[in-house]
Amino acid sequence: MTRKQITIGCGAIILILLPPAALLSGNPYLISLTSRIIIYALAAASLDLLLGYGAMISLGHAAFVGVGAYTIAILHFHSAGAEPLFSWPFLFAGSNNALLTLPLATLSASFAALIIGGLSLRTTGMHFIMITLAFAQMLYYFFISLEKYGGDDGLSLATRNSLVGLNLGNSSHFYYLCLAALFVFLILAHRLVNSRFGLVVRGAGNNDRRIKGLGIHSYRYKLVTFVIAGGSAGLAGALLANQTEFVSPGLMHWTLSGELMVMVLLGGLGTLFGPVLGATVFLALETTLAMYTEHWMIYMGPFLVLTVIFAKRGLFGFLAGDKGKNG
Amino acid sequence: MLLVIEQFLNGLQLGITLFLMSAGLTLVFGIMQVINLAHGSFYMIGAYVGATVAAYTGSFLLAVLAAVGAAAGVGCIVEMLVLRHLYARQHLDQVLATFGLIMFFNELIRIVWGRQPVFMNVPGALSQSIQLLPGLHYPTYRLAVIGIGLLVALLLWLMFAKTRIGMQIRAGSSNREMVGALGVNINLLYTLVFGLGALLAGLAGVMAGPILSVEPGMGESILILTFVVIVIGGIGSVRGAVAGALLVGMVDTLGRAFLPSILRTILAAATADSVAASLSSMAIYILMAAILVWKPRGLFPAHG
Amino acid sequence: MADILLKVSGLHKSFGALLATNNFSLTLTRGHIHALIGPNGAGKTTVVNQLSGDMPVDSGTIQFHGRDITRLKSYQRARLGIARSFQITHIFENLTVAENMGLAICTGLGHNFRFWRNWQNAAAIKNELPLALERVDLLHRAELSARHLSHGEKRQLEVGMALIGKPELLILDEPMAGLGPGGTVELAKLIKKQKGQVTILLVEHDMDVVFSLADRVTVLVYGENVATGTPDEIRHNSVVRKAYLGEGE
Repeated sequence: MTRKQITIGCGAIILILLPPAALLSGNPYLISLTSRIIIYALAAASLDLLLGYGAMISLGHAAFVGVGAYTIAILHFHSAGAEPLFSWPFLFAGSNNALLTLPLATLSASFAALIIGGLSLRTTGMHFIMITLAFAQMLYYFFISLEKYGGDDGLSLATRNSLVGLNLGNSSHFYYLCLAALFVFLILAHRLVNSRFGLVVRGAGNNDRRIKGLGIHSYRYKLVTFVIAGGSAGLAGALLANQTEFVSPGLMHWTLSGELMVMVLLGGLGTLFGPVLGATVFLALETTLAMYTEHWMIYMGPFLVLTVIFAKRGLFGFLAGDKGKNG
Repeated sequence: MLLVIEQFLNGLQLGITLFLMSAGLTLVFGIMQVINLAHGSFYMIGAYVGATVAAYTGSFLLAVLAAVGAAAGVGCIVEMLVLRHLYARQHLDQVLATFGLIMFFNELIRIVWGRQPVFMNVPGALSQSIQLLPGLHYPTYRLAVIGIGLLVALLLWLMFAKTRIGMQIRAGSSNREMVGALGVNINLLYTLVFGLGALLAGLAGVMAGPILSVEPGMGESILILTFVVIVIGGIGSVRGAVAGALLVGMVDTLGRAFLPSILRTILAAATADSVAASLSSMAIYILMAAILVWKPRGLFPAHG
Repeated sequence: MADILLKVSGLHKSFGALLATNNFSLTLTRGHIHALIGPNGAGKTTVVNQLSGDMPVDSGTIQFHGRDITRLKSYQRARLGIARSFQITHIFENLTVAENMGLAICTGLGHNFRFWRNWQNAAAIKNELPLALERVDLLHRAELSARHLSHGEKRQLEVGMALIGKPELLILDEPMAGLGPGGTVELAKLIKKQKGQVTILLVEHDMDVVFSLADRVTVLVYGENVATGTPDEIRHNSVVRKAYLGEGE
């Protein structure tokens, strides 16, 4: 076994055993905290596909988290209320069934990513960063303007979604749903980056001009990656909406996009598993600092600056050695 | 008709503020090839320092001077301590580090001034309205903002067109290697350009103080509008910044003012209002997307 | 001269006031190694960029196999069989040597929307990859990250990648630049090995290399074709001696 496999294996075992351990030791709050970490880890790992492999510096990833979350909330809103979501071409009253809502959330986030990515990927470099940020902000203002769905104040869910065989209201059940989503994503993404498709995307991320010189139309590959990452972020958003039973435009605020980026960098760019670690450390740090001071950002800010200037490999690279790269 | 003129002036005033923000930032992008998210922080610092000095001294002039000085000072320090280490780095590193700077400055402001918005009075001499046309009264202060903005634009143009340093900056924004070849002290030039950008942002901040609420995070909303301006205008192009700023200022202001009544002519009132609210908040982004499809590098691309 | 692969006529390119390519014409015969030489700043790379489609032409035509390709993009030209290397080494530094070569092979496989199977397990890659690496003596370096290669090995890799897919025309832009004497000899051997299998346009500084490898030589001065001929003819051409060899490096 390599050091990398040991690191990943230990992480997986800890995550699988956490709920019973937390219950036995009398710290049940750890389960919901870790659920939140897992959800953010999913969002951060999906962002890593863009940042670490395709070198697409998207500063608007939170938009897709938000679209996923709002899909859950809006479907729930209509299923609970009298008014159907739409009545043409067929009557659809909304839904609270996770088997329907989670895929729909993923799909709608993918669709948003297709539009935003399709336009943004016409540009590169600094333009791309600013444009993804601007589009995310557009969605943020769009949801603020939706008075019907709570506008600025957001929308509450009466219950979590239902899923056959599980009680998502139970924190352990919900935890394992989130963990399963993360594992499935990591496995698929790991296959993806090592496939022929992934090789092209990594090549384009490394040297786009050369890829074009080889005769590959890299735009399509990047766009597909953007859509996959956006959809996965949407799934994370859907889970987040279920966990907090509340959505608001704040989910799409660009500070969340920035935080997701921080998690990726902290954990290690282009490692997929690193962002999981990054999300853990970031949220743990935030939670701990927030216990001592409400002004935790005054420490987090300079910490970030110093991390960028001095640390280059990320935590995962530190734990798993140089082979941490490429999933 | 009078309403149209009034809203037109409002749009002009927003455009001027955006121009002050984007003129400096587009040069920083163009010359140093560094993406700086913390530009909005200089705007916020300008507003806070200005509001405080105005409250203590009662002098708006002193407030402006202090705000501009503080923003430029902080800008130079940030350039020397942080940004300088990032020029050779990837954009991702620059984004993250300057994101850290935003966190730091926002929190610092909260610690010093608290979470509540700070109020800044319109200076006494400018607190009246002027009758521009029969029936059209317009606040003197807003006219003054427009005037100062135009003056600054003129000064910038003179600087770029007539002075040596202006020419160096212009050369740098269209061709970076050339500046080095001309034997210019690059470090100093970079610090100056960065400081100039921060100074303009601080000026925009203090002038916006009496119009908007001065609160933590105020820098980010203007920053994103500034990005839209720069994307539309083209990175590194001051001319593009002028065009983009005016376009964004007008579209945003006029959209918010007139979309509801326009839509009401074709839709039911309630629907029209909600559609108009969505559309007008997204108008500038739709504009940006449209320009992007047409010209991916902006209206006035600076780099060949 | 029945077998003309590439025909360039009246190529013009200017950057502002600077005329970089001036009424440049060139005919490449299939199977030849054709060298393009010229003093520094003669506009060699500008010509190459226009031939490969990395830079649009102002006026003039480029014909490949008698087909007008003047307006085609670089990737479209690549599909027709024009491959190039760059003056500044242009490989994927963050990928391994095998991945670099694998990417070049992937380009010949139609689309690459294959999401599940490891790229190394694709049949075409399994067959071709070891041979392709062997051809440029890099098999023992396969798993190394490309950025750790020596300068010469990077060039070998680049030439190897350009040779994938059996291009009909290979444009090598100063392949010897920055190489030590040992590296130059290695690479020259490698290029010679390809002779006859592929037509090569060799842009080069090193006169020894040019005169030992090339079938024909074209001299470029201020963006203009001042002479074309066999190496012997060029060596003894008075215009060339005056314009280039006399004052060149």
